[in-house]
Order: sequence, then C-alpha cells, then structure tokens
Amino acid sequence: MREFANWLASTDLSQIIVTNLWMIPAIQSVHIVAIGVLVGSLFMLDMRILGVLSGDQPISAVNRRFGPWIWGAIAVLLVSGLLLIVGEPARELLSFSFWAKMVMLLIGIAIVIAFQIHLRANQAQWEASFVAAPTTKALAIISIFIWVAIIFLGRFIAWDAQIWGSLSPQA
Amino acid sequence: MDFYQFFNAVEQSGIAIWVRESLLALPVINALHVVGLALVFGTIFIVDLRLIGIPTATRPFTKVAGELLHWTWVGFGIALITGLLMFAANATTFYVNTQFQLKMVALLFAGLNMAVFEMVTVRSVARWDNERWTPPSARFAGFASILLWVTVIVLGRWIGYTKGFNFDAPVDIDLDNLFGAVRVLEITRIG
Repeated sequence: MREFANWLASTDLSQIIVTNLWMIPAIQSVHIVAIGVLVGSLFMLDMRILGVLSGDQPISAVNRRFGPWIWGAIAVLLVSGLLLIVGEPARELLSFSFWAKMVMLLIGIAIVIAFQIHLRANQAQWEASFVAAPTTKALAIISIFIWVAIIFLGRFIAWDAQIWGSLSPQA
Repeated sequence: MDFYQFFNAVEQSGIAIWVRESLLALPVINALHVVGLALVFGTIFIVDLRLIGIPTATRPFTKVAGELLHWTWVGFGIALITGLLMFAANATTFYVNTQFQLKMVALLFAGLNMAVFEMVTVRSVARWDNERWTPPSARFAGFASILLWVTVIVLGRWIGYTKGFNFDAPVDIDLDNLFGAVRVLEITRIG
C-alpha cells in the first residue's frame, strides 16, 4: 500500500491537486456540502420509514422524491473522495479510519440498494403502504447510525494515529 | 477588559484546557460538528428547494417547513455547542482569524435572511402554500439561504487550512510524509 500511495502521489493529477494548495480545501468543501445533501435526503427516507416524517405520503412517493438526491450525492461524494485520495494518498490510504470508513460505506450503500430493490419488487404494496415492516424500520435505524459513523471515521482520518494508536499505520 | 484578555480567559478556562489536552475530545467534537452541520444543511436545503420550486411542489410549503425546521434547529444546536467548544479551545487564535470572522458574518446573514423570511415573507403563505411557484421574495430567500450556508461550510473548512500556512506559501512538501511536512511549516511560521 505504501508503494501504491507513493506511485499515486507521483502522478500528474496528484501533483496538480497537492501543489495548488486551495484545491484540497475546495474539494473537501464540495465533499461536505454533498454529505449535507445525502444526510438530508437519507434522513427524510429513513424518518418516513420510521413513521416520524411525511406521514401523509406513501413510502414509495418519498423514495421517488429523494432517491435521485441520495444517488446524486453519493456520486459527488465518490468523485470528490477519489480526488482527495489522489491528492493526499498517504493521508488516506495509510490510515485505519479510512479503511474502517470504506467498510461502513459498503454496508451503508448495500442497505440503500437492498431497500430500493425490495421497493421495486413490491411496488404495489409500497404504493399503498403507510406503515413499514419492523425489519425495514430496524434497517432504517441501523442506516442512520452507519452514516453517522461514516462521518465520524471520515473526520478521524485527520487524527488517525492519535485516536487509534497502534492500529494506525501512521503510529 | 479588552477582547484579547476576554478570549484569553476563555482559552484558559477548565473546559477549554480539557478540549485542547484530551486526545479524543477535539476529534469527537469536530466530527459531531460535521454531523450537526450536515443535518442543518441537509434539512434547510430541502425547505429552500421547495421555496424555489424544485422539484415540482407536491406538498404544501408549511408542511415541508413545519416538519423539517425542527430538525434544522436540532442540527444547529449540535453545531453551535461543538463550535463553541472548538472556539474556546483556541479562542485567541480564532477571533483574529479572517476566515473565522467571515464565517461569522455569513452566519449572521443566514440568520437575517431567515428572520426576514419568517417575519415578512411568510405572512402571505396562505396564497402560495400549495403553488409550485412562490413569490420572488420567497424564492430569493431560498436561493440566499443555499448560497449563505454553502459559504459558511466553505469558510469553516478553510479555517482549518489557515492556521499552519497560507495559500501563497512556497511549496516544497515531502509527499511521502505530508503530515510531517505540514507540521514543519506550522512550526516555522508560528514558532
């Protein structure tokens, strides 16, 4: 991984990002704005599944309204996140927080995909449904915790050795 | 007592010292700040989009705003408390930091925009509650809110990059050891 990070750091794109010092904070800002959009839309969907918000609308309607924003935000996060990795490979790839975040990210995205496949397979039922099944509600709660954990781990990259001690490759 | 003395006293308070010296306090507080601001921006963005007419309005404005703005305030409360703790830890550095000052100005304008909307614009809500196209003043408030909150986020992130070096500083960063390089720059500039 160290060799890969070194090679990545030597690429032209990485050099451009890291030598223009405004680029990293600018890309991070885009990343945070997209986090806000994702949290907002996912929060709407999860809270609707839990029956806290938008109780006047079927779950499928809320999903139609916010689904595109969820995927749009995830796309922006992936692109800006990749640019941050290319710009600072050692900071990201040689950190425990980063890889823990990637694992959580896979679980978080898997839940969103699973929910949307489930929704598509049972379209008629969801169209009329105003109350979600207990397992779906449980997944919505887990989803909220996972995305909060993703935010925590993302921020923890900046203090990796300090937080994780010997678990961190930087320690 | 002048500003410096005041912020120095804040910085020397027990809680500020705890935030500075604890290994975990600052990372956890900082992460909670991001969770709070994500909730603020994520929820207010949906209300702003409803004001602007994106997407096709399917629900009355008062319903969207009534449900969501509680959560905006929850997020703001989290961001405010964590923000005050981070400020206290390095108060004398922050209050003279240009990006921090600009962020506070942007926050103030976001608050003013909301106050004007809540006290003046929303009075006519009965006429456009179910309409996709709201009056120009309401659409302006929506655009201004998105713009101001994005500005707050950008300036907030920028603060983190102004303590050690500025953007015009000569670049000879050792790419194999970025942290070390940044730290050396910090020491040469501050120390």
